[in-house]
Amino acid sequence: MDKYYKKWFLPVVTPAAILFFAVIVIPFAAGVLYSFTSWRGTYFAGGGVFESFVGFDNYIAAFKNPRFTNAFFYTVKFTLLAVVVINVVALVLALMVTSVRQGAGVYRTVFFLPNLLGGLALGFIWQFIFQNVFSDILFGANGIVSIPFLTNMLQDSNKALIALVFMVTWQMAGYMMIIYITGLNNIPADLYEAAQIDGAGKLQQFKVITLPMLMPAITIVFFLTLANCFKLLDQNVALTDGNFNTRLLAMQILRTTRDTAPPDYGMAQAQAVIFFVLIAAVTLIQLSVTKRREVELS
Amino acid sequence: MKKKTNLAILYVVLTVLSAVTLSPLAFLFINSFKTQSEIIGSPTALPEQWNIGYIIRAAGEIDFFRSLTITFVVTVLSVALIVLVSSLAGWIIARSKTRLSSLALYMFTAAMLIPFQAVMYPLLSIFETAGLKNITGLIIMYGGFGLSLSVFLYHGFAKSIPRGIEEAALIDGAGAMRMFFSVIFPLMKSTTATVIILNALWIWNDYLLPFLVIGNGSNRTLTLELYFARMTAGQFGNPWELIFPAVLISIVPIVTVFLFLQKYIVRGVADGAVKG
Repeated sequence: MDKYYKKWFLPVVTPAAILFFAVIVIPFAAGVLYSFTSWRGTYFAGGGVFESFVGFDNYIAAFKNPRFTNAFFYTVKFTLLAVVVINVVALVLALMVTSVRQGAGVYRTVFFLPNLLGGLALGFIWQFIFQNVFSDILFGANGIVSIPFLTNMLQDSNKALIALVFMVTWQMAGYMMIIYITGLNNIPADLYEAAQIDGAGKLQQFKVITLPMLMPAITIVFFLTLANCFKLLDQNVALTDGNFNTRLLAMQILRTTRDTAPPDYGMAQAQAVIFFVLIAAVTLIQLSVTKRREVELS
Repeated sequence: MKKKTNLAILYVVLTVLSAVTLSPLAFLFINSFKTQSEIIGSPTALPEQWNIGYIIRAAGEIDFFRSLTITFVVTVLSVALIVLVSSLAGWIIARSKTRLSSLALYMFTAAMLIPFQAVMYPLLSIFETAGLKNITGLIIMYGGFGLSLSVFLYHGFAKSIPRGIEEAALIDGAGAMRMFFSVIFPLMKSTTATVIILNALWIWNDYLLPFLVIGNGSNRTLTLELYFARMTAGQFGNPWELIFPAVLISIVPIVTVFLFLQKYIVRGVADGAVKG
């Protein structure tokens, strides 16, 4: 049989390999190469790829570009905050939904629903909510409760960050809740029974049974939220369109080529490579840390 | 007694949170029937008149049936492409025990770390040179980006299928392709469902790739129409009486599908995560 599979390996894997090379491997390699040239999108300044080689100039220019550094730190701040908030909300929702017998399915459906809609469609609705409903009806000077911080949230970079976290939590928490629910349902009930007999309280049961047994789910939810938040674009476009210094990195890379004339694709590509290194490093560190905890605890 | 009150409180909290979750959608719904001044003046009130004129106008503005068809065709063909190539690849990688095969799995998995932005500009430049800056190119790109996770999921499942089944089919004289599609592929249908759901949800709502490939061209997807409607309208203030109904009709199809298939979709999300 092994011989048979060996014979068929290449023909069967080839379609996937062709797609993979055409869409990911070749463009990725080209992207890394172009980040060291003065690429203008349709041509290379100075002739061919190698004539326009500029070393690390694009990387230096990127870090000297206040728009890029601002987007870099803004993305890190946003991701840190959003990952924590989404995880806590999703876990609390999952714990609540699994504690009720009747209607659990309905609640689950409702919380999952925002996830079906694209970030753009959602962003437009929330833009209006933040601008009109929050600023006038709910938290304005003549609103239900006057909370100045929650008014005109989209006109200030810090407030817009909170607004974005709010909206993204509303959208993603239901999805992550589903993963936590699956994790919770996989914990054998007799563990809790045994703990109860031993006299462990609810809080202690949560600490010594639920959390450790939930580690695989936590690993995945962290992985997904980290990746999704780092790469967030649609919601950013729809909510503020990057105004008031609210560009996240994904939008910064997309808009760099419109910031200058002629478009500096080389510098945009350098930013994209930095973006890749950041995401890969953070993801790998997160996976190894949470995986290690999975092993230690089990 | 205490248990009962706790449960009652839990239901109250859950119901309030559900209401909060649904309120933006309810809000979208009621404002899709109002005039601009009514939306601004009393955004949370029910419309004085349920006027569907705005929805009809918005449907025309975003060329609803055409963009819906395009979105549907792109999603179906991309997902079909992903299912076809990644089920084959995932299976043969699980079966073949060569070094090349482990390298292939490693590469497919590692590619999950590459963000779209890192390949975006060269990809477009290459596809434009190849004359593929169109719907066909879009489908091929989705096929490529959907591969990593899908190959990984199929590989995980294929490992659990006993080889004996395949040996029996081979003794009967079936070729590899015929055996795969008549014996193995049907066995992997739960993974196929997960792969379809995860990819379809993402492709249906995607904004960036159609924006870069199709842009202002004629074959716009639903999300793209919505974006351009908002951008062109935005030049003259914010005509919410167009934006709200446009958003509403653009989300109706996927919400309807979800309500019918929610059991499978929720399971797909859970399976995709656990095995991923």
